[in-house]
Amino acid sequence: MKVLVCVKQVAVLGDEVEFTDDERDVDPDYLDFALNEWDSYATEEALRLVEAAGSGEVVVVSVGDEDMEDGMRRCLAMGADRGIRVEAEGRLDPIQVARALAEVVQSESPDLVFAGVQSSDSVQAATGNALAGLLDLPSVAVVTKIDLGDGKATVNRELEGGLVDVVEVDTPAVITIQTGINEPRYATLRAIKQAEEKEIDMRQAGDLGEPGSRVRKMFVPPKGEGAEMLDGGAAEVAQRIKEIVQEKTA
Amino acid sequence: MPRDPKYDILFEPIQIGPKTMKNRFYQIPHCNGFGSEKPLNQAHFRAMKAEGGYAAVCTEYCSIHPESDDTHRVSARLWDDDDIKNLGLMCDMLHEHGALAAAELWYGGPHAPCMETRCVPRAPSQIPSDFEHLTYPKEMDKDDIREVQGFYVEAAKRAREAGFDIVYVYGSHSYLPQQFLTPYYNRRTDEYGGSLENRARFWRETIEQVKEAVGDDCAIAVRMSTDMFMGEAGTQLERDCLPFVELVDEIVDVWDINVSGISEWGEDATPSRFYESGRLLPWQKAVKGVSKKPVLGVGRFTSPDLMVEAINDGALDIIATCRPSISDPFLPKKIDEGRLDDIRECIGCNICISRWEIGGPPLICTQNATAGEEYRRGWHPEKFEKAANADNDVLIVGAGPAGMECARVLGERGMRRVHLVEGQDDMGGIMRWIPQFPGLGEWARVVNYRKIQIDKLKNVEFIPNTKLDAEGVKNYGAEIVIVATGGYWATDGLNGCTHDTIPGADASQAWCATPEQIMAEGKSTGDKVLIVDNDGYFTGVSLAEKLAEEGKQVTLMTHLGHIAPYMHFTLEAPNMHRKLHKLKVEIVTYQIPTEIKEGNVTSAHVYDEEHLTEWGVDSVVLVTQRRSNEALYRELKDSVGIDALVSEGITGFYRIGDCVAPRLVADCVFDGHRLAREIDSDNPEVPLPFKRERHVIEREAVLA
Ligand SMILES: Cc1cc2nc3c(=O)[nH]c(=O)nc-3n(C[C@H](O)[C@H](O)[C@H](O)COP(=O)(O)O)c2cc1C
Ligand code: SF4
Repeated sequence: MKVLVCVKQVAVLGDEVEFTDDERDVDPDYLDFALNEWDSYATEEALRLVEAAGSGEVVVVSVGDEDMEDGMRRCLAMGADRGIRVEAEGRLDPIQVARALAEVVQSESPDLVFAGVQSSDSVQAATGNALAGLLDLPSVAVVTKIDLGDGKATVNRELEGGLVDVVEVDTPAVITIQTGINEPRYATLRAIKQAEEKEIDMRQAGDLGEPGSRVRKMFVPPKGEGAEMLDGGAAEVAQRIKEIVQEKTA
Repeated sequence: MPRDPKYDILFEPIQIGPKTMKNRFYQIPHCNGFGSEKPLNQAHFRAMKAEGGYAAVCTEYCSIHPESDDTHRVSARLWDDDDIKNLGLMCDMLHEHGALAAAELWYGGPHAPCMETRCVPRAPSQIPSDFEHLTYPKEMDKDDIREVQGFYVEAAKRAREAGFDIVYVYGSHSYLPQQFLTPYYNRRTDEYGGSLENRARFWRETIEQVKEAVGDDCAIAVRMSTDMFMGEAGTQLERDCLPFVELVDEIVDVWDINVSGISEWGEDATPSRFYESGRLLPWQKAVKGVSKKPVLGVGRFTSPDLMVEAINDGALDIIATCRPSISDPFLPKKIDEGRLDDIRECIGCNICISRWEIGGPPLICTQNATAGEEYRRGWHPEKFEKAANADNDVLIVGAGPAGMECARVLGERGMRRVHLVEGQDDMGGIMRWIPQFPGLGEWARVVNYRKIQIDKLKNVEFIPNTKLDAEGVKNYGAEIVIVATGGYWATDGLNGCTHDTIPGADASQAWCATPEQIMAEGKSTGDKVLIVDNDGYFTGVSLAEKLAEEGKQVTLMTHLGHIAPYMHFTLEAPNMHRKLHKLKVEIVTYQIPTEIKEGNVTSAHVYDEEHLTEWGVDSVVLVTQRRSNEALYRELKDSVGIDALVSEGITGFYRIGDCVAPRLVADCVFDGHRLAREIDSDNPEVPLPFKRERHVIEREAVLA
């Protein structure tokens, strides 16, 4: 049983934001970085499946520069066996990332490929689906439960309005994992230390081609009309909110 | 982040008499236990507030003469030239930070028991103090009046010489000038009693004389209570205070307006249990309405929005803070720098005040473990040294007040990784359920402040829902292990009165409960509840209030002579009594249960063991004593053993907070802070000695 988990170290906005000179990205000085929340659920799910199978391995894969390895190390500390990082500099869009990942999947031939539903920084929810398209694998998105069978899996797909779609999918398949599917484990300090010793294989990306989308400009959206800024202490603000809600619902 | 422009007004300078405050932040007079006789502690304590952005910082009440000696409590003193030297250091250090120094000149009258000087205090009328038992004053004749006014003038000159910029003639809290103004204290029939003009005469003359003596160099401040909440007898806003302001406004440079007398000064230093911030604003606004001079005042201000509102609404010109400045000396700076979520807000518990009320010990603060430690331990509330062993990883088990504070400070000290592991789904420990008691919501700030800070610290990780056993701790991979597993209420009635359990007490029964079973686990009680309180602080009375509010018939039994005696020190007692009385809670003192059965409790009088009383009840709540939750610590130390821990690479193994011994939340926070500050000392388990400010003799010289 081999599960390959695609993970990303995402940017987290601080209180203040400045853009780079070309106005196409946030100045990294104003960013913190952390493992994408969805990816810790994906890693946990992979670990559980391999543990249940009794043997196998969990391989985490990232595309990007060395800073990506912090997130990968967290997954390794949770228990993933090894990592593969496809070296890439600069901005990549989900299609390019999927191209880089596709090469790794082909070389590793896993039984399952997991990705998070989306990344919390760019929120495009595209990488996992693009990867399935490139590999011509079946895929299911926004999954909240997986029952593994022989050459197939029964999975719950989350729909709007609390509905759940139960589908059967042939494996290998690409599955994007929703938060809440499990309770991700915490890594002990020992596991964190041991993860520092685990192998992360560095590979060069092939031709990643043209992006499917481009950032033209990033800016703080202009203030719209009709917003009412509430000043004052917490009690006053709460009082005002109460009044507004009452006005609108009257 | 830069300051939000809506707070700009707080940073505008303001003129008071001959002096200018650089902004609107003022540290109101308050005690710290240091007085004039621990001058280094005193100066460093006050200077921290100046460093934190305060434009003016005041002493505590500062006695003008040995006749006003508050021993056992500690006041500052300006009795002689040596006091000038000692308090002068405070002035110098404040000036270095660009802050003004203020001295609150004080004559206590009958409230000052003169236990050190053995003088006899003087007062308008010979009535014993309503605050200090068995202290009778001498009734002043006209010579006495001239003499005491002379004391004010001489002390004011000494204050000027020490370097003070602002000099008070202090009346609030029922001290001498206000005693003359108030019928409750002043029963004179001469020109110093009777009409308002007469009752105001002493204070007016004293202000005039002090102004004449030092008014060119120092701003003259008057602190007045504008309502004593005691009807005709007490000072009243309309009848006494507003006319008085008009009478002397010309010679006063700044008004400091509050409320209350001394015996219920919790109406001024308001516990959050009963009052929200800004509660004095109506009185302050009334004075501002008739005065042409700047008005300053308190109101447990921690929110900059409320401060701005107070100024814009015409209630105050200067924002005075006492407890918020103890809890966070850097309050002004944090507002200035737009770091509002770093403000360590006062919770209004009045543990700081309890120390003064107890008489003597240095002030402590629940929120700020560094308060009072500036000089003697060299602690700075905002600065942390990188630990010498910062390459270590730390495991803290238990995220209550001690564990959270320890994690925060170790994070600030740059430890490589700190894991704060907690069995429950969130931080807080006992401070998750204590703030659920009626009125104690603000106490949750202990948790909220630390949560926000821990979240900001990259090297600190919070791990919820994880109960570690001894093996788990041993194999966790930390070099330093800190156990902070808290405590619990005894389930068998063990107590500090009989030093034994109570026969029949058993909180595993449906009809018997401990406080945390009710508050944290939702255990319900029957309609007739007997609470056994041998603890004497907030838990028993809070439960009584809560259960009575739910409609239960509550009896509160204690072996002590009062319920919740510690609440006298926190100034919560008067209103707590009022509340319980209104809720018809039956209060039983000097009784200890001798046997508890389902449906029935037998108790004995503590001074007459043969006198037994039977109580028919549905439920019993045991607030008898707390115990340390030390199972994990004992297992690690006694079963696993230190050698086995060392062989796993654990070089430091400590415990903190209630799991060492149950105590005040303030002391738990201190304990966690202390260990983190000294984590790289030779033996972090034992506190480093602190600097003891004392007189050390040369033996030979004395004997020679
Ligand atoms: C520990 C402590 C000591 C105090 N000592 C004095 C004092 O010496 N003189 C005085 O006028 N007021 C004293 N006060 C009262 C404060 O000046 C102030 O009126 C009160 O704390 C309310 O302000 P706050 O809400 O900002 O805390 C003291 C208050 C505290 C908390
Ligand atoms: S001890 Fe309590 S009331 Fe006093 S300053 Fe600290 S938090 Fe505020």
